[in-house]
Amino acid sequence: MDEYEEMYGIEDDFERQFADELEVMAEMDFDPTPFTKVSQLRNKQPVPQSFEEAISVGDQLLNRPAGTGKRQELHSDVTSRVSPLRQDDEESLTPKAKKRKQDVAKRLQFSQMHEGDDITPPSSPEVYERLENRRTEVSMPLSPNTLPVSAVPSVLDISGLAALQQSPRSVTTTTCHVLKRPPATGDYISVTDSQGNRVYLSKKEEEDKAPDPRAFRNSQNALGLLAVPIEVLKEQVAERRHRQVVEESQRLTELLNSGIDPELLAEEEPEGGEDNDDDDEGRSSRLWVDRFSPKHYTELLSDDFTNRCLLKWLKLWDTVVFGRERKPRAPAPEVRPSGQNAQNQNQAQRFKTKSQITEEILEAELDQYKRPKYKVALLSGPPGLGKTTLAYVIAKHAGYNVVEINASDDRSAELFQKRIDTATQMKSVLGANERPNCLIIDEIDGAPTAAINILLATINRKDSREEAESGANTLKKKKKKESVLLRPIICICNDLYVPALRPLRQQAFLLAFPPTQPSRLSQRLAEISRLQGMKADTGTLMALCEKTDNDIRACINTLQFLHGRGQKQLDQRTVSSMTVGLKDQNKGLFSVWQEIFQLPRLKRKRIGADPYIGLVEAGLKEGAQRLQNILHLASSNGEHEKVSQGLYDNFLSMKMKDPNMSAVCSGLDWLCFSDLLNECVMHGQNYSLMRYLPFLPAAFHFLYASNSVPRINYPNSQYEALTRTQHTKNAMVAMLAEIPPAVRCRVSLHTLCLDMLSLLLELICPKLRPVNPQLYSTREKQQLCDLIDTMINYNLTYRQDRTPEGQYIYVLEPNVEDVVRFTGLPPRRQLTYQAKQLIARETELERMRRTERALQKRNTHKTEEVKEEKVETQKKEVKKMTTKNHQQRLENIVKQTTVESKPELDFFGRAIIPKEKPAVTTTTGDESKVGGALQIGKAVGNSDVWFRFNEGVSNAVRRNVYIRELL
Amino acid sequence: MSLWVDKYRPTTLAKLDYHKEQANQLKNLVQCGDFPHLLVYGPSGAGKKTRIMCLLRELYGAGVEKLRIEHQSITAPSKKKIEINTIASNYHLEVNPSDAGNSDRVVIQELIKTVAQSQQIQSSTQREFKVVLLTEVDRLTKDAQHALRRTMEKYTATCRLILCCNSTSKVISPIRSRCLAVRVPLPSVEEVCNVLSSVCRKEGLLLPGELAKQIAEKSGRNLRKALLMCEACRVQQYPFSADQDIPETDWEVYLRETAHAIVSQQSPQRLLEVRARLYELLTHCIPPEIIIKGLVTELLSNCDGHLKPEVAQLAAHYEHRLQLGSKAIYHLEAFVAKFMAIYKKFMEDGLDGFMF
Repeated sequence: MDEYEEMYGIEDDFERQFADELEVMAEMDFDPTPFTKVSQLRNKQPVPQSFEEAISVGDQLLNRPAGTGKRQELHSDVTSRVSPLRQDDEESLTPKAKKRKQDVAKRLQFSQMHEGDDITPPSSPEVYERLENRRTEVSMPLSPNTLPVSAVPSVLDISGLAALQQSPRSVTTTTCHVLKRPPATGDYISVTDSQGNRVYLSKKEEEDKAPDPRAFRNSQNALGLLAVPIEVLKEQVAERRHRQVVEESQRLTELLNSGIDPELLAEEEPEGGEDNDDDDEGRSSRLWVDRFSPKHYTELLSDDFTNRCLLKWLKLWDTVVFGRERKPRAPAPEVRPSGQNAQNQNQAQRFKTKSQITEEILEAELDQYKRPKYKVALLSGPPGLGKTTLAYVIAKHAGYNVVEINASDDRSAELFQKRIDTATQMKSVLGANERPNCLIIDEIDGAPTAAINILLATINRKDSREEAESGANTLKKKKKKESVLLRPIICICNDLYVPALRPLRQQAFLLAFPPTQPSRLSQRLAEISRLQGMKADTGTLMALCEKTDNDIRACINTLQFLHGRGQKQLDQRTVSSMTVGLKDQNKGLFSVWQEIFQLPRLKRKRIGADPYIGLVEAGLKEGAQRLQNILHLASSNGEHEKVSQGLYDNFLSMKMKDPNMSAVCSGLDWLCFSDLLNECVMHGQNYSLMRYLPFLPAAFHFLYASNSVPRINYPNSQYEALTRTQHTKNAMVAMLAEIPPAVRCRVSLHTLCLDMLSLLLELICPKLRPVNPQLYSTREKQQLCDLIDTMINYNLTYRQDRTPEGQYIYVLEPNVEDVVRFTGLPPRRQLTYQAKQLIARETELERMRRTERALQKRNTHKTEEVKEEKVETQKKEVKKMTTKNHQQRLENIVKQTTVESKPELDFFGRAIIPKEKPAVTTTTGDESKVGGALQIGKAVGNSDVWFRFNEGVSNAVRRNVYIRELL
Repeated sequence: MSLWVDKYRPTTLAKLDYHKEQANQLKNLVQCGDFPHLLVYGPSGAGKKTRIMCLLRELYGAGVEKLRIEHQSITAPSKKKIEINTIASNYHLEVNPSDAGNSDRVVIQELIKTVAQSQQIQSSTQREFKVVLLTEVDRLTKDAQHALRRTMEKYTATCRLILCCNSTSKVISPIRSRCLAVRVPLPSVEEVCNVLSSVCRKEGLLLPGELAKQIAEKSGRNLRKALLMCEACRVQQYPFSADQDIPETDWEVYLRETAHAIVSQQSPQRLLEVRARLYELLTHCIPPEIIIKGLVTELLSNCDGHLKPEVAQLAAHYEHRLQLGSKAIYHLEAFVAKFMAIYKKFMEDGLDGFMF
């Protein structure tokens, strides 16, 4: 909140600072308006307006030096160009342009006579007849008026509108007919090639189809030059006149119709009536929110600074989109910074406020494609502040055609891509919206991550060809950059911190919506209610604003609702008793806790308390209201678990007068109660009890609320405790997992942590003499043995670990020391590093011994069997030997090779003679000298060392080695 | 088997050191052939498990001592996989279903049923039933206990259950009524002393009588703890001296300090400190009922006689709620706060009385 205040406190300052800039902006603001107006007019009556405009444009562009006389001629030219068209109809499409051109002067009058019937093609002969008759009469009285200034457009107007009045069906055909008749116009162009204006006119249709930046520039230039006021004046005059004419003609036609065709009149009138009805109905059925939504920049209710920033950002696109403003903008940043930098530097010494940062973003240079640095604007704020409205108004204001994608559209990745591409790279061809598109992506916080990634990819897309030839000149580039994003995109979201939006946040121009000012909002509400004939004073409206948290939409909807119920008078009580206008507010957890622990400010009392209620009653009422308020708050939040956890973690640090600790006790009793409730709800599925849960916050509010602002910490104690419990449990489970079953069946987790572990750790820290274990006395050796036995039985060992300081220490593995140790207790006695090292080593050795012993035990049966079968003549030493996995194979080999097994034996026998074995080798050697192949084979098979001939590398020589021999 | 606890554990009913009549009765029970379901209960360290193992040996012979650990995985109907460790011999199976947490019911239903349904193959040479030993039955959820009821009756022909727990209060009465309850009380101080001195004699050590008594008292007659303490004393200092200090478990020390903190000052700030300490205890896997029990014993010894009944009542009240609820810390703290309030009031009243 402070930040906001700070931010908006400097607004005045801001205005002073950037006075010149604001002027520029004002210019900008003004500048597009005529443009839009023109287009609006054009929308209404496309044909004549385009003519008119074309004429004027042609005038200024090409025929500047030409005199008024020539202009007259031009007009005539145009008319003549139109008129042949009509005559074509009469003369069955045999245009003879040159001839007609000479007759133009004469025909000026004449054409008026024919006009109506020419433009409107006869859909049926009867209609045609009628129209003709009428038209001639209509145009007659007007001709003196219209002639002097610009007769042609006005007359054209008449024709168009008269047709519209009479039969709307024919109008559409008319427009189509005139615009899209290629043979006539095409013909004419070829003839009047030398005249610039004609060329332009004829090309217009093609331009509509293919977007050409030149077209924009042309129109813009025409608008941007000094001729603007003239044009506006002209338009206004034309419009006014046109209106007069229309009215008059209407009157006349009605008169005529009454005489000529009563049926038609009868048909017509209900139509008009229907129109009116429609309007009325629309008025009643349409939401006020739509009806009174701002149509213009100045009507916006949202914060000025935000509006301005967005508009400025959008204006940065002008360079690339409209290709204009290059010159006026270029010097502007140079001029401004000089004044502004000084200021900036002054403030930069302290801090950069948010608004300054925003300003700087807007000042930033355009990139290589002349786009602004941030391609996307991201508006964020709670609902009902007018974000979407702002985006629409500003996009329209800056001369864009709005294309919207919102949550109601399918936003799967492919469709999203398609829509973005269509919106940013194409342009409407038909109709009047030849303005460039501005894409508005509404409710983007609900879009899937894939869609947002696509948006990001679109933003960051680069023209690969351009990358390649970076040295190429800029003019060429302009034509090539098809795939680069060249249109502004405005995204709107409620929650800026949705995970999916994270990447977008870094690349977007962020604009956070501050809450609407209640004064402005209530003013607007007053306007609306006045318009609708409701009586409401400012205080009431302010109360309404407060109740809805300055949500514009909610306010207006509430008003409409009340209006719809027939209430013409709005007072405090209705507003305060209203529950309709309330949204289901979802406040943040912190604000919930804050509200619980803080007494409501006095301001609220003013609204709540009525003057005629006594003080006591007021107090009571206030209490009830507070209760209601907290209950509502708690139940609308929904996260009871989290809320009560936060209350539990924070209530003891609140400031309270509680000498007897009774408040603390009752608070804790409440907590216990809610815990029992929760248990009941969760385990018994007794959800009806959930309605009592919000009373816990209410109770806490009455017990602990104070006037001072509470300092609230996020409650993580429960979670922390949970993770730590899990950690200790895991350590113990790891320890238990490997304990041998004989011990395991006596030890459970609880006995371990309650009775054993602490003492066990004591036990495994005997006093050992710091000498080599070889020097230990038998008693000490026995002690060490016992210790290691215990360690192994309980699956403990020491593991070398490196502390962050770089020291090496031995820690217990699994680390049950943590399980036992409590902070604040004196540390237990530890063994020295050497002792631990010794124990670790011995434990490891003992483990190996045991595993081997176990293996041996399992294998003994097999060896004995083998031995019983064959080895009788062998010496007794061999009996110790266990089976050799190579034995069987060797046996086979030896049986096959009856000779030459002796040298290898000799060689290796001498090279590596195991200590116990010399006798064996010698005997076998002797025997082999004497005896046959069988004995050799046996000897080989039973020898400790064997060799496989031709088997490659050094490990061809093998020998059985046991762990126990190494230990 | 290096720890004295493990090394000198009696393996047959005849060798048991105390509660000899009970051992005799158990022996008779085995010999008469009609072996019922058993519910063995008693405080920790009284020798329940030892007695059960002796009983099993009596039933099946030395074969029961060949144990193996088996990892069983059971798929719950909700497709959740439950891993549980069992200790088994050829004749019996030991499970701690509460290891499975909330899905202990599935363990009971699936695991025990499969074991119980299978017949003994060589019933001529062996008993016709297997034994399933369930430990920590009092930690079973109610669902699991109810699941046990029918199983107990249905498979009596092939399977006997021995349930082992600390207190029968949390075992539902249908189960209690289906079992022969065997209470194994704690050994008396003399009995503990006897065991300790006999163990020391076997070790070739000389244990002074006073030290043995001290150890017995300090261990709270928990024989397992007493033996461990004795061995720890031996590690710390041999030859024993009568007044050497006996190592204690850390959590007991910590709990005592917490109780002192409560008594020395009563304020919300102190309550906050106590809360941190309670959390510390809970995170060290000390069960809340043990915490509350430890606190009460310490507090009672510190407060005036007038207060004692009230404090004991409070403790009972909050421990009951503790069992009903799920968040232990609330109830523990509520108890502490209530004690603080009472104690403070009492002290202030006393002070006022002293002033006038």
